[in-house]
Amino acid sequence: MKEGQLFILSLIVFTSLCDTFRELFLKSGVNALNQFNPGNIKEVILFILKLIRTPWVWISLLFGFLSLFIWLFILSKVDLNFAFSLDSMHYIFIALASQFLLKEKVRLTRWVGTLFIVLGITLVTLS
Amino acid sequence: MPKRKLTLKIFLFLILSDVLETFHQFCFKKSALFEEDPPLTGFYDLLLFFKAVFSSPFFWIGLLSLIIMFIIWSTILSKIDLSMAVPIASFSYILVALVSILFLHETITLLRWMGIFLILTGVIFVSVSSRVKESTLT
Repeated sequence: MKEGQLFILSLIVFTSLCDTFRELFLKSGVNALNQFNPGNIKEVILFILKLIRTPWVWISLLFGFLSLFIWLFILSKVDLNFAFSLDSMHYIFIALASQFLLKEKVRLTRWVGTLFIVLGITLVTLS
Repeated sequence: MPKRKLTLKIFLFLILSDVLETFHQFCFKKSALFEEDPPLTGFYDLLLFFKAVFSSPFFWIGLLSLIIMFIIWSTILSKIDLSMAVPIASFSYILVALVSILFLHETITLLRWMGIFLILTGVIFVSVSSRVKESTLT
């Protein structure tokens, strides 16, 4: 492993965690609204207006911006394809969070898929 | 929360968010790309770095596509489960790899391609598990 790569790696773990929180809060915000049936542009705008009045969405955005700043820093240091591939570790966090926090049912096949993602990340890191 | 079906319309929205994802990553990389590696040792250096990034038009184009993606993504999440939506959106791994080679002159070794394809295989497994769940319910 190259010098400084461990630092970049831990930054990528941190942004992935931020991304997970971003998705979780966004999903909580959207879940708090009634189901949305976009029939026309007016309904879409109404939905967005309702969305930005939901506190969860603001917390989601906060994590989004935090993640963005760190991400820009990461991109100045390493190749895009390397950083972007490693960023897939947020699927692992999301699978765990979907199961335990959002109480969605995560099946065995999905855990197998998550394992493949872990293996893929390992190969990209070693390359 | 009732299970909701993945329709063609939602699928197309997901593809659109793939394209926007790749495009905004490309723009962000461009905005953070400097002739010389900036010395990022202190807080002041960090401020200078972000000043340089924010003065790049690429950053603002990237941010705009990120915002559009955020709106599309919110629409998608109101329709289907998060653990179903995220995997389908992940075909951007291939797109980003291709854009990195073609436009950013990055090199991807065989081992890295294998890693990327393992990630994709994982993603396909996860998508299939959503479909199995739906068919057993209906």
